[in-house]
Amino acid sequence: MHTAGEFSRPKIRILVAALSLTVGGPLLAADENLPDLAGGASPWAADVYYENHTARRRHAGLAKFRNTLQVEADKQIGDGWAVRGILRGSWDGVYRMNKDEYGRRAGGPILLENTAAPLLPPVPTTAGTPLNLPQVPHGGGINNPIGTAIGLPPTNAFGFDLAANPNDAMRVLGDRWHRTEGGIAFGVPVRPCDSDSRGCRNFGGYGDLDVHELETPEFNDRLDFLRELYAKKTIPLADGTELFVKLGRQQVVWGRTDLFRVLDVVNPVDYSRNNIYDELQDIRIPMWIAQAEYRMGASEAMQDRNVQVVWNFDKFRPSNLGQCGSPNVMLDASCYFRGMANLWDNGGTVANFASVPPGTAGAWAATDFGPHQIGIRKVHLPEWSLANTQLGVKYEGVTKDGLAFSINALTYRSQLPSLHAFGTGTVNPFTGASGNTTPPAAGVPVSHLIAFDVHYPRVNLIGGSLDFQIPDADVAVRMETALTRGEEFANTARPRLYSKNKVLRTVIGVDRPTFIPFISKTRATLVSAQLFWQHIFDHEQHDGPLGKTGMVDWKDNLTGTLLIKGFLANDRVSPQVIMAREFRAKAYTVAPQIEWSVTDDFKLTFGANFKYGSGNDHFKFDDCRSCNPYPPFTTYTASGQPFVPGSAGLSGFEPLGRFRAGPIGAAVAEDDIYLMVRYRF
Amino acid sequence: MIKHLSKLGAIPFALACAAGALHAATEADVEKSLYPYKGGVPSAPGVTPGTVINKGNVSSFEAVLDPSLLRHLQEGAVEITVGPTTSFDLHKSYVDATKENVANVKLGAKPGELVGYVSGRPFVEEPDAADPRAGEKLAWNYRYGMNWGDGLAISPFYWQYRNMDSGKVERNILFNFYFLKYSHRVNQAPTPEITPNPSKIFRATYVKVQEPQDVKNTQLLLQRYEDDLKQDDAYLYLGFQRRVRRLSTGQTTDAFLGSDIMIEDFEGYNGRISDMNWKYKGTANMLMPFYNHNDMKLSDEYKEADGYKYVSFGGQGGCFPNITWQLRKVYILESSPLDPNHPVSRRVHYMDAQTSAMSRTIVYDRKGDLWKIFMVGVSHPDFHLAKNKDSGVVLFDNFSMIDLQAKHCTTGQFKGQADPQMVPVNLFNVQNMRGGN
Repeated sequence: MHTAGEFSRPKIRILVAALSLTVGGPLLAADENLPDLAGGASPWAADVYYENHTARRRHAGLAKFRNTLQVEADKQIGDGWAVRGILRGSWDGVYRMNKDEYGRRAGGPILLENTAAPLLPPVPTTAGTPLNLPQVPHGGGINNPIGTAIGLPPTNAFGFDLAANPNDAMRVLGDRWHRTEGGIAFGVPVRPCDSDSRGCRNFGGYGDLDVHELETPEFNDRLDFLRELYAKKTIPLADGTELFVKLGRQQVVWGRTDLFRVLDVVNPVDYSRNNIYDELQDIRIPMWIAQAEYRMGASEAMQDRNVQVVWNFDKFRPSNLGQCGSPNVMLDASCYFRGMANLWDNGGTVANFASVPPGTAGAWAATDFGPHQIGIRKVHLPEWSLANTQLGVKYEGVTKDGLAFSINALTYRSQLPSLHAFGTGTVNPFTGASGNTTPPAAGVPVSHLIAFDVHYPRVNLIGGSLDFQIPDADVAVRMETALTRGEEFANTARPRLYSKNKVLRTVIGVDRPTFIPFISKTRATLVSAQLFWQHIFDHEQHDGPLGKTGMVDWKDNLTGTLLIKGFLANDRVSPQVIMAREFRAKAYTVAPQIEWSVTDDFKLTFGANFKYGSGNDHFKFDDCRSCNPYPPFTTYTASGQPFVPGSAGLSGFEPLGRFRAGPIGAAVAEDDIYLMVRYRF
Repeated sequence: MIKHLSKLGAIPFALACAAGALHAATEADVEKSLYPYKGGVPSAPGVTPGTVINKGNVSSFEAVLDPSLLRHLQEGAVEITVGPTTSFDLHKSYVDATKENVANVKLGAKPGELVGYVSGRPFVEEPDAADPRAGEKLAWNYRYGMNWGDGLAISPFYWQYRNMDSGKVERNILFNFYFLKYSHRVNQAPTPEITPNPSKIFRATYVKVQEPQDVKNTQLLLQRYEDDLKQDDAYLYLGFQRRVRRLSTGQTTDAFLGSDIMIEDFEGYNGRISDMNWKYKGTANMLMPFYNHNDMKLSDEYKEADGYKYVSFGGQGGCFPNITWQLRKVYILESSPLDPNHPVSRRVHYMDAQTSAMSRTIVYDRKGDLWKIFMVGVSHPDFHLAKNKDSGVVLFDNFSMIDLQAKHCTTGQFKGQADPQMVPVNLFNVQNMRGGN
């Protein structure tokens, strides 16, 4: 015999007990079918899931062996209050099962490009190899003795301690998605931070994790195993309106768009879990939030009216871009960060950096920078304070003609890092001193130097969304837009190498159920298309003597997505394909998948995602080799560059090409196939 | 055949007018329409309470069986038992409203338009085969019937997807369904309408999935407007997306959550009158799935705290409810979609004359081939949950949709509760869907 709540009854009592201990009270099956009107207490109702997600990546081998146990539990606690908790714990075996790629044996010694090799003498380098090799090892670039030999002051600070920063456990920056091709590159430590601490920085939940923290990401000091835990209540008011309150760790979902986050930015996102390929529900990082919603219901002019206030009072967390060396590193960004942090701490070899002959573009020598010359110095994570909390307001309604819409406003901290260049406190590698001391630039403030601190600036957003249907076309249309102020973008035309720009993001989506006979004659196939447009206001770009300078991001960028999802065997089998194209990046992905619900409780999912690109020269942009922070040493005199800081526009893939490549273009070599098994106990 | 027709005098409520104008309904018409068994119940040879009709004797009962039920009996897929015909009296307020307003109602110039309607049954005269819009009038009677009354919850509502050949239950879904009329309300406060209602919603249906896990917390909100020419609005909340999606109208003709039933099939027909061509095809006395719930052999499959038990299912593949069938006066009504791309070419509805419930519907695919058979069982509310007693509503109690081509069926077992406390108007707002988890 079944009961109404039996579908919800877990069989793993130990997890049930764990949940009970966490939030208190007994855990029993419950009938949660009735609306919460009476406000009485009830036993716990819980579901327990196990999921294995195994992925294999081209060239890399095993890329995921994640095992997740999740408990979802609800309880009416009386007086109209209800509590919901979601506990999630996962262990990803990839760090142990493929340790050569992602674990304690990842990486190795590297070679870096040295295009000036034919013009260079075979002098020995710190690495013991001659300087005139077309590919030099880490530590095989211009160092102090070589600098002195070519006429720099003997106090020059080129070179680094190879013992402190050995040529091991590294990969070449960007080697997953492009060749160096005359641009810059440097070594990036890729092992977990307990195996190799070089370049480890806490970017707000990633960047400094050891192997245990990587393989069990929920078990950390932010208690991420508490995916969600909140209490909610609807309070009827005398005039028939309602006040809905929800307090606790939660996700707040704004907007009407799939895949893109235009308004859906209240919670940061964990891209380390599966890049952009997991449902947002599973990768939003829940925050401690208080929300109140005044539900006014209908009026004479509106069918529905609601005002929502969201106060995210949690300590700031950015989106997790994935730690370098782990399988999912969005934009390959954290590898750039880690490599740069290592350069700041320990120095290192940068491929193709010093122009040969000096001041002339054409060939570049690998150069060994010392500590505190270039790199990432510090990550400024906002501390908890009232001023650092985040506040949002939304008005959502339905007009009497059926137009559903929202108007949104949010003040929040950017969930992505912004790199601010600085010029004081750095070592001038040409002199070993600080600042510019050499005529004719003596006393000129250092700027445009590729030495950064990381900040998360405050961003203010206003936006809105709406949806409606077009019956004659049998489509539902979704639109969403947001204008932000305060976002920061890399900008080599600015002294601190960033600028604040207003950004407009807009998405239009169209959903159409369509009968496609070869898929199913009786069940419509969902066809859903979206077009995303991003426009950066006051976009800045200039023509320098060696190339374009300014902002690497496209002034206008378009991304299109297409979902085709079929339903077979009474929806127990569902094939789908998602395609996404980043038009300016000329990159696209195709993600076929098939789900099979073997039983009500057991589901298999098999799928893949393949990425394609059409060339990559369009990713190259000003890499700041010609930013000229230390005239006259860094000045491209042959190109007419003056003895003042500012870029001449010399370009390469790194470090900024990733912003043009986007999440698809930067992962173009990361084709995955996967199998997911999900079982509800 | 009706044994005794009402002998009440004809008291005109309005002047006789041409088709489409005010109709000359009399009080006798009202009585005959709402109390067709007052003078006696139908009869047919051999159709007596307790008679079991099966493959062996079905040929004797062909006259009182719709073609699809006849076919299943001939195939031995099911056998049915005849129960006594009883009157399913609708709520007195509905009857009074009918009497009060029927004289003022007329069809508009085009299908989907109705003029002068306030509440109650719009058209009480016997349908006239010579009236080209007779079918449309019956469709209005259905729309403004007492199906679920002013507000009702089906909670819980168990669905099972079944392989008709093997009987294997392939999927279980646990729903809650809620229905609310915004206008033309007769027996639950407020009457006659809920205000404010600027969109002029006539009726809303809110659905929430409780199980299984992959569709848990999926919610559906359907809003049908007073203006039948205005498209319905539909919103879907997907639990895994935590977002409300506007549905295009096309999704109402799609298999609902992979079942054998589409949203448009709900209750027999769940769409706009103006979307169909309606044809009255005749009147007959037929066996219909009307019964007293508490008198049936009920299932122990699901246990309710209040002791409520559900109708059980049997027959081939477990696709047929174990109920008794009443010989009832039935209007045969055909609807065919105006949209040439509609997956259905036509439906034949067997509409109970007293309640206007479309208890049996035969569905034909685009090619015109027999596709599906829908049946919704109706229990007398006085023989159900105590809270339903005297509610005077059409209390649906189980359903079965059989896909004859796929040899598959979806069955539903209801716990219908005519309880206004369970259907507050706020439940039917889009925002309510977002406010959950």
